[in-house]
Amino acid sequence: MKSDDIMEEEIELMKNGKRLDGRGPGDLRPMSITANVIKNANGSAYMEWGNNRIIAAVYGPSEALPKHTANPDKAVVKCRYMMAPFSSISEHGRPGMNRRAVEISKVTREVFEHAILVDKFPGCEINIYIEILQSDGGTRAAGITCAAVALASSGIPMRDMPYSVSAGNINETVVIDLNMIEDMASDADMPVAILPRNNEVVLLQMDGSFTKEQFDSAMELIRKSGEYISNLQKKALKEPYEKIIDRYA
Amino acid sequence: MRTILVPGELISDKTMHGEGIIVENGKSYASVIGIYDSERQGFIPLESIWSPQQGENVVGVIDEAKLNTYNVNLHSPYKGVIISKYAEGGLSNGDIIEATVRGLDKTGVAVLVRPRVLRGGKLISIKPSKIPRVLGRGNTMIKQISDYTKTSISIGMNGVVWLNGGDIDLATDAIERIQSEAHITGLTEKIGEMLKSNEKR
Repeated sequence: MKSDDIMEEEIELMKNGKRLDGRGPGDLRPMSITANVIKNANGSAYMEWGNNRIIAAVYGPSEALPKHTANPDKAVVKCRYMMAPFSSISEHGRPGMNRRAVEISKVTREVFEHAILVDKFPGCEINIYIEILQSDGGTRAAGITCAAVALASSGIPMRDMPYSVSAGNINETVVIDLNMIEDMASDADMPVAILPRNNEVVLLQMDGSFTKEQFDSAMELIRKSGEYISNLQKKALKEPYEKIIDRYA
Repeated sequence: MRTILVPGELISDKTMHGEGIIVENGKSYASVIGIYDSERQGFIPLESIWSPQQGENVVGVIDEAKLNTYNVNLHSPYKGVIISKYAEGGLSNGDIIEATVRGLDKTGVAVLVRPRVLRGGKLISIKPSKIPRVLGRGNTMIKQISDYTKTSISIGMNGVVWLNGGDIDLATDAIERIQSEAHITGLTEKIGEMLKSNEKR
């Protein structure tokens, strides 16, 4: 994800302990999630995370097609991550199905293969569509977080609801939730997805390098902010039901 | 005390059985979004995927007539199949039928018996997890709706409902309201009030 040609001049990413957008090293960008935004889908969610705008929809389980993709023992998860043509500025993540989109679709699929109880639906497929409407770094993490809510709202049984967030390394300082400029200019970027109940890591990718101590503190930071993200996901799912309960209270 | 739980949240420290529950290390966790009633110690899924059980009633549409079987679209991950010898008088493509599930075969196809053709009317699709609520305890809810609206209603456990005759729009509104407010207590009375107030108009 590093692109040297854009960053010809050195930018000061950290100044007096504050980052470019005024956040401290451990602060997340503001975020909000809404569940059930698409009527036709079995489950869906819309997420705003900083300047990221993401919509996720889940269809299925339905008969796996083409037939040769079906597995008689369990459901196959199919995932498509795609950036809208108008989603990004400059060369960060070009829209369309390219090498990067295929890779992110693959890692996202693997996250949900671990979360969904796939053995309940042999011979079926579950389709997850993640569409990035506006991107500002950390879209794969935001996509996973959003798709987890979409899956839960569809009623597909899951072991746990994963969340995802990235950590990075700016001038030997460990920071959380990198935006696009930090992502391109920082020394390291590490998106991680976790199943919070047992703290199982289901995705870990790393660009650049961490020392062992930095890695440990990055993981700690991810778990700490994960609690907040996880609660937000739960709130988004419970809200529609609680609204109706309140109406009669 | 009724609490809403989402996938991964702890239901109880004890082992529980039922739909939407997974057990790990002797503890029970929710696998779908649902309500836990601590007095009755039961977990009710609010969203779920239907899977055919023996003896259940389903409503579907014939989408393919083959040599000795009929394929039925059940609007779910499972396909239905009716063996021709159980369909007296024959069926044709596009027929709406109500049938009983005899079981699942090895390939995950629901074998249906005793098909009854439903003529006219309209089909609506609702979430399969809300069907027990639409039926009500001892079918009180659905009886109430068809008594007030004079509509004949067939309910498939697969989430497809067939309506014909009477005040179809009112019956549809009532069923859709049950779907969105399924987790509210005392719903039968509330729907009763709604039907009464609409009848006067």
